[in-house]
Amino acid sequence: MTFGNDTIMRRLTSCWLFSLMLGIASMPALADEVEQAASAWTVTELMQGLAQVKKSSATFIELKHLSMLKEPLAFSGTLEYTAPGRLEKRTLLPKPESMVLDRDRLEVQSGGAGKKRVLSLQAYPAIWAFVESIRSTLAGDLDTLNRFYRVSLEGQRGKWQLTLLPLDSKMKDMVSEIRIGGSGEQVNTIEIREAGGDYSVMSISKGGS
Amino acid sequence: MKRFKQRWPIAAWLVFVGLCVFLVSRMQVGADLNAFLPGTPTPAQRLLTEQLRDGMVSRLILIGIEGGKPESLAAASKQLAQRLRREPDFLMVNNGEEGTLAKDQAFLFDNRYLLSSAVTPERFGAEGLHGALENALQLLGSPAGVMVKRVIPRDPSGELLHLLEGFAGQSSPPTQEGVWMSRDGKRALLILQTAAAGYDIDAQQRAVERVRGHFAQATGGLRGLEIRLSGPGVFSVEARDNIESVAFNFSIITAIIVSLLLLLVYRSWQVLAISLLPVISGALAGIAAVSLGYGVVFGVTLGFGITLIGEAVDYAIYFFTHLAPGRAPDKALENIWPTIRLGVLTTICGFSPMFLADFPGLAQLGLFSVVGLIVAVLVTRWVLPNLITANFAPVAPTRFAGRIIALIAQAPRLRPLVLVAVAAAVISIALHREPVWSDQLSSLFPLSVEKQQLDQSLRDDLGAPDVRYLIVVGGKDREAVLERSEAVAAQLDALAGRNILTGYDTPSRYLPSQKTQHARQTALPDETQLRANLKQALAGLPFRDDLFEPFQQDIAAARSQPLLTQARLQGTNLGLQTESLLAHYGDGWKAMLPLRGVTEAQVIRQTFDQPDGSVILLDLKQESDELYQSYVHEAVTLSAVGALSIVVLLFISLRSARRVAAVLLPLAAAVVITLAILLAGGQKLLLFHLVGLLLSVAVGSNYSLFFDRESQSQKNGAGKQDDERGLTMVSLLVANLSTTIAFGMLGFSGVPVLTAIGQTVAIGAFLSLLFSAVLMGGKVAK
Repeated sequence: MTFGNDTIMRRLTSCWLFSLMLGIASMPALADEVEQAASAWTVTELMQGLAQVKKSSATFIELKHLSMLKEPLAFSGTLEYTAPGRLEKRTLLPKPESMVLDRDRLEVQSGGAGKKRVLSLQAYPAIWAFVESIRSTLAGDLDTLNRFYRVSLEGQRGKWQLTLLPLDSKMKDMVSEIRIGGSGEQVNTIEIREAGGDYSVMSISKGGS
Repeated sequence: MKRFKQRWPIAAWLVFVGLCVFLVSRMQVGADLNAFLPGTPTPAQRLLTEQLRDGMVSRLILIGIEGGKPESLAAASKQLAQRLRREPDFLMVNNGEEGTLAKDQAFLFDNRYLLSSAVTPERFGAEGLHGALENALQLLGSPAGVMVKRVIPRDPSGELLHLLEGFAGQSSPPTQEGVWMSRDGKRALLILQTAAAGYDIDAQQRAVERVRGHFAQATGGLRGLEIRLSGPGVFSVEARDNIESVAFNFSIITAIIVSLLLLLVYRSWQVLAISLLPVISGALAGIAAVSLGYGVVFGVTLGFGITLIGEAVDYAIYFFTHLAPGRAPDKALENIWPTIRLGVLTTICGFSPMFLADFPGLAQLGLFSVVGLIVAVLVTRWVLPNLITANFAPVAPTRFAGRIIALIAQAPRLRPLVLVAVAAAVISIALHREPVWSDQLSSLFPLSVEKQQLDQSLRDDLGAPDVRYLIVVGGKDREAVLERSEAVAAQLDALAGRNILTGYDTPSRYLPSQKTQHARQTALPDETQLRANLKQALAGLPFRDDLFEPFQQDIAAARSQPLLTQARLQGTNLGLQTESLLAHYGDGWKAMLPLRGVTEAQVIRQTFDQPDGSVILLDLKQESDELYQSYVHEAVTLSAVGALSIVVLLFISLRSARRVAAVLLPLAAAVVITLAILLAGGQKLLLFHLVGLLLSVAVGSNYSLFFDRESQSQKNGAGKQDDERGLTMVSLLVANLSTTIAFGMLGFSGVPVLTAIGQTVAIGAFLSLLFSAVLMGGKVAK
């Protein structure tokens, strides 16, 4: 009976969660057991290669450069991916926080407060679009990527960079560009450029915790 | 003198019918929901009633637009919403479009220091601010940073986020193409809140028509799009329309079939026309009586009017069957009059207890039946004979008489069969394992199953489960209620922390009491103090030095801003929300606090157990179920009283236990077997089935009383001719056929309440005649 509020809530939380997703989207695909791909290098082949990865884990270091701060913020923790749709980001420093994405379900838990939130992605199309930027990359699902982004690839198989430009204008207001860098079937960096000039860079090291 | 004697009953009748027509033309068809609300409610039931009548729940209209691609559905949704927003009839029009929420967002943000329950002097001290800034930093670092960073310079203490926390636990439908859409993209969704209360059916009807009209105009160019409406007000409108059209259509159909039957038997238009007079007079009188007695006539009662056709036409049939050439018309009924009179008295005994029902629907049915039947029988007795010329005699259906008597003579052979059937029925009822009674108040609602399913699927799509728990806070004025709501909200927050509920809504969230607002305002530090506190708080944190200038300006503004009033909320969805949660009732004010995700209702009940009744936890489901149970209980009791008074009446009239037993035996057998058939058919009984059983006893008693009369006269050797006896039997058969047709037709009406009565009486009445013939026929056709 509180639909008016529902919508405000949805709108505001969706922005909030949208940004949450920026974090979870900073996810790597870490190739553990993959076959060698052919020598000619196209987006399609990159995707085929990425699709081979069924499970991977890594550690990350993330630096956030914000104009309102005198110095960047640093975070570190672990990442885990299980094909086709499960992602886990566990921030350990400076404060523990975890985010788990499983198919349509997103669960966020901040360590201190012990508060847990669960939501269904389908109810939040903007977040859904954002999630797919990384999940579809990891899953090698080019069709879904094309639905939300203009996708371009530079470089060679040994060192490549995938650039995603949001198609939706509302998303453009938040994020201007997502750059995913990697080598072979492994994702090494995720760089998110926000509309106002702030940006974050996440470096990923293979090998798990 | 003779002429006068003939004419005065006709004149009196005409005046009476005229009066009835006048009353009926001015009658008000009532909200069907009201038919189910108790006459003398408990406090909780009164709250339930208020909610159902004009609470926020009663004002919702749920809309689904179907039959197109998502793009065209969304376009239709936007156009419809735009048009409806200009209508003063709708307080709220929500289709998920974002633009409509700008005002609400601005309201929350601009007034955050008056609205946030976290505002205390400590929060804006050096220490409090330092903690807040540390949290802000964490938020900025977290993925939430993108959104939060725009707000932090103005709201570092996170009051907006704190306000939004309050909405936790609410779900909302998915959005597609910028509007609410079902998961599968096949239905665009809207929610309206009407300005008019749910019980105001005329206003609800206007609202529904307006929605449909705007939809037709908005989608003029788009073929194939359809709109589906649901919600309590829509239900009431449709139920009223439905039951009115069912009452009308089925009256016509039934009248035609019964007329054909009468034509077939009597072969006279005159007979046909005159036969219908008692029926029409009775129905008019019944409705007029209810209208006079209750002010409004419920749709259900109106629908019940049809059933009277089947019963009241019987009297005319008895009359015409006993007309004979050479006998004055007014003598025709003389012989059988005592039997008819006893039959009518039996019916009156059966239905009179219903007057006492607390359930208004039942009480109206009782009044309607009794008045209708009395008038029908009086018209038959004193008006009909004066309407036909002396010596008029229809073609007597004597040709059937012989055959009927022969059949009845054979009927007793079926006795073993009846015995077996009754035994089987008793066993089947005893072994019935499923619940016998339907257990929901909604089962009484005259709505088709499809409509109920549509409502459910719209609610599922909208993620809008029914509100079940509601805390109702009372007080002498608005401020008192708001203050008390704030206290309750604080307790609910504590309970939510223990996971006893996930969330709640309260008007004090959007409109805190003046006292609380004032306290929050004075908690804010002045400019110098704030500057000093902030400087101290920022030590060791990486924020840029001048970042929080906007925060200091906002605090300064908040310190001198006027306190919020209901007027300030106008034009926002939050304002509508507040209005629907906070209202003037009777001599005081009430606030509703709907609860979400309740896991332990008992704990909440104990927490708010206020002896003075100023805070009540209302379990809408439990209350409505209990209300329904009390109706079932009442119907059972009153039916038992009715049945008992029938037995007493028969003892007084017949003065013989044997005869009473003989008269009652076929009826009892019919009731038992009817009940077994209904249950075996997988039905859960409504209390209208019970009314139907009572009615079939009332109708059936006419048959068995006639059999009793004939067997008595046979025994006394009254020397009646076979013809005469045969005619009586023919009239019983015709009467029974018309009753079975009338009620049987109702069984197909699709309105659960009327179907229940229709099926029950059709089966019951038919079996009553059959069993009367089988069990009592031996003595008649000797």
